[in-house]
Amino acid sequence: MMSQILTNIIFLPLLMAVVLGIFRAPIRVLKIGAMFSSIATLVLVGILTYNFDTTIGIQFVQDLPWIKNAGISYYIGVDYLSLIILLLITSLMPPLYIYMFHENRKGYWYNMMLLQTGVTGAVLSLDLILFYLFWETMLLPIFVMIGKYGNGMHQYNSMKIVLMTILGSMSMLFSILYLGYIYFETTGMWSFALTDLDTLVFNAQTSIWLTAGFLLAFAIKIPLVGFHTWMAPAYGSAPTPAVVIMSAIMAKLGIYGIWRFGYGLFETTLSYYAPTIIVLTLIGLLYYAVRAITEDNLRKMFAYSSGSHLSLIALGVFLTNEYAWSGSLYFIATHAIASTGIFLMIGLTYKRFKTVNISSLGGIASKAPKFTFFFAFFALSIAGLPGTGGFVAELLIIIGAFKANLWIGVLTATTMLSAMIYIFWMIQRTLFGQANNDIEYSDLSVREIVMLLPLLILLLATGIFPSFFMKIYETQLYFTLQEFMLAIGGLK
Amino acid sequence: MIEQLLLAMPMAIVVIGAFVLMLLSHSRRIKLDRLNIVAVFFLIISFIMQYYTLGNHTGTFLLENVFNESFILDDFATIFDLMFTAGAILTLLINNDYFKSRQYFSGEYFALILFSVFGMMMLSHANELVTVFIALEIASISVYALVGYHKNNKISSEAMMKYMVLGSMTGVFFMLGTALIYGAVGSTSLTQIATYVSSNSIEDMTMLIVGSTFIMITIMFKIGAVPFHSWVVDVYHGAPYPITMFMASTFKIAIFAIALRLFIVNFGSINSFWTEILQVITILTLLGGSWLAIRQTLVKRMLAGSSIVHSGYLLIAISSIGLGSELAAPAIMFYLIAYFLSSVGAFGILSFIASQSTKQMHYEDFKGFASRRPYMAIMMSIFMLSLAGFPSTIGFLGKFYIFTSAIESGQILLAGLGILTAFISVYYYFKLIAMMYFYESDKPQKKFPFDISTILIVVMALLIIWGGIGTSLIPFIPGADGFIEIAKQAISSLK
Repeated sequence: MMSQILTNIIFLPLLMAVVLGIFRAPIRVLKIGAMFSSIATLVLVGILTYNFDTTIGIQFVQDLPWIKNAGISYYIGVDYLSLIILLLITSLMPPLYIYMFHENRKGYWYNMMLLQTGVTGAVLSLDLILFYLFWETMLLPIFVMIGKYGNGMHQYNSMKIVLMTILGSMSMLFSILYLGYIYFETTGMWSFALTDLDTLVFNAQTSIWLTAGFLLAFAIKIPLVGFHTWMAPAYGSAPTPAVVIMSAIMAKLGIYGIWRFGYGLFETTLSYYAPTIIVLTLIGLLYYAVRAITEDNLRKMFAYSSGSHLSLIALGVFLTNEYAWSGSLYFIATHAIASTGIFLMIGLTYKRFKTVNISSLGGIASKAPKFTFFFAFFALSIAGLPGTGGFVAELLIIIGAFKANLWIGVLTATTMLSAMIYIFWMIQRTLFGQANNDIEYSDLSVREIVMLLPLLILLLATGIFPSFFMKIYETQLYFTLQEFMLAIGGLK
Repeated sequence: MIEQLLLAMPMAIVVIGAFVLMLLSHSRRIKLDRLNIVAVFFLIISFIMQYYTLGNHTGTFLLENVFNESFILDDFATIFDLMFTAGAILTLLINNDYFKSRQYFSGEYFALILFSVFGMMMLSHANELVTVFIALEIASISVYALVGYHKNNKISSEAMMKYMVLGSMTGVFFMLGTALIYGAVGSTSLTQIATYVSSNSIEDMTMLIVGSTFIMITIMFKIGAVPFHSWVVDVYHGAPYPITMFMASTFKIAIFAIALRLFIVNFGSINSFWTEILQVITILTLLGGSWLAIRQTLVKRMLAGSSIVHSGYLLIAISSIGLGSELAAPAIMFYLIAYFLSSVGAFGILSFIASQSTKQMHYEDFKGFASRRPYMAIMMSIFMLSLAGFPSTIGFLGKFYIFTSAIESGQILLAGLGILTAFISVYYYFKLIAMMYFYESDKPQKKFPFDISTILIVVMALLIIWGGIGTSLIPFIPGADGFIEIAKQAISSLK
């Protein structure tokens, strides 16, 4: 059973969707089925985590031949990095389904199940073609969800996100194919398995081009500043579950990609690109923060805020010291939870007030205290409220930044401040102020509290007992870091 | 002798079927769907017979004492024949509703399709340039007639005229090329030409090279490579849907059959001579085709434009063959299979919709299609994804093989351009998906009609998915590996 467990985790939602689709399940059954698949995967991931060995690298490997002629295999496995994101995906799905409880459009539910398979597969695959398959597949549900169920100029924005992301993945595909060819040239066999390609040695020029192919894909996905034009429109138009997945999971997959494939394949070349990217992320930190301050639409505002924080994570990854790395990985997890919380709150805001513009909101605090509490909590945890996980993570990254360079450290620390500015100003304008008496303010229902409470608890737990969670990855992360340092002939 | 006759049977049955259908079509009592069944019956017999000759040919040439060395028998030709007959069967069956909905269809339609299939089969077996020409003309003239089948329609007649005049003119190029080659070699047999080519140095073969370049022009015209593409969009647009489907999927493959045979076997040792020309044509084809496809508002014209782009991908692989890539030839075969499946499916759905209305299908007409016909929309999306080369469909693997072969032969920039045009193609294919899904329809949902044409479309869609993700783990069923194995078998039988 344990050797199959990853396959089950990946394909359970898809299988559920296919079965329900074939039998044309009525909406009630569809909801139960989707919920069941999300809980079943959660249980499976729980079992996986329980049996996970924190002292070794990739485990639960399943390697089956798929297309033998081209050396493509169904090669999946999990290590600390993928486990973190896997845990996130599976634990965020049930709250999302609870959020969608009253959603009676069937396509919504099918797309969510497909999406879960797509993102899970991308995280777990260790064969580059397989990874590419899932990487592209997860785009389809997003495409349909924004385009079909979105708001505003959703058709246009959906096309935009798909085209920009596919531009990135096409460049990645080129690099993947070229890597496979280099492997063929050196060994006489085709293979796209990460472990095989890892053994390759390229000349500098080739390596720089190949890395560029990968980096473009990841930079668009994150998005780094300059590659971000799809972000705000897409976040603004997308329905809430899609926004949550985009911000909490898909953007993180860009970081994951850099970590897995960047550091897995091109250690030295990444340090060639590091200064450029660090500059980009620093610009991103400030640029996104400024955009967030001036933005009136809540969804777009938190899109920019998300961009700013993802720049921070990317910065941490490229700083390559133990604080920054540990902080980045921790921030991936905590930011995902916090942004899920805040985007769900924005979704609830929209359900209640039919608007997400800050200027038309106000005075919620006096009418709906529970709503206000959760809203403020998630918003503050985005800003890095002490006691929540985000604070620990940001602190680690900032320490790492100071360790790398004083000025980078100073610049990084300012983001925490800028986040405070837009968050507090937003809270002041939306939650407090004059209430509009024409609108009916309904407080959170029990279902909504059930949905939000686990996120709140998780955020507090990650903030109060960070070492408990860090144990999952610490040993292996430092090991990877040391390997990297050896590869580039660095400090230690 | 009897065995030899049996080997000739697949072709003979098709042509006999064509004559039978011509006779039957004069009777007013026999309805069109009966004729359809007769036509499909002949094609299926031919298909089955070919299936059993696959891999066990007793002689090298067909009826050598009658035809001399005009017709070659090998797996390469047989696999192409299988594709032609399958293509014709699918064309006939999927369009069952379409020709019933149009008054202008009559009995000759079936005879012409069968004649055309006969011409293509002859083309894939031909081992002699005059035979190639005759085969090409048999196939083409049937297609000319079919394109102009809607006699009272101006667009259809215009398309026919355009295609026929231009096609005949490029036919003249072919003849001129043949004459020049005959002048150089003293024979039109491909075997003789191959010996001549391999025994002479490239400097002494100017006449042969000029001649074969003329032949290449004909081939480029037929596959619609830029700068010989001006007919494609108009002809595809003017022809009735079944004919467009037949041309895009089946007839195009036939041209590649002869192109591959000439390029790999006969001019094998000098084919690197054309590399630069081919590369320029490829670049033009990829960019020009994309440009054409983007600008269209009619879905049919978009598919026509995109078929030029697909020719461009195939041309990448053809120039890779010249540069010595091992993968390229099977890649072309695989891509042809993939393109065949996807375009048959896409045109099949278009003609299914067209059989219910007389509207020209613009992108806008697909608004809300997903809510009217959810299953059809899913399948159309699958075909579009496969044409765009989206992973988990067979189209992705087709592109995968083409681009790796290009990289293998060192044409890295061309592979990059191919990937770039694949990206552009995402735009015009996804636009259709967007139209289908992103708009609500005010009309009620229709039931999925279960009849032979829709079932075949479903089968196509499943094959596309299976060809893209099917594993080699399930015994007896060929997965994604199976198709490339077939392609490799075909290519290895050539040499």
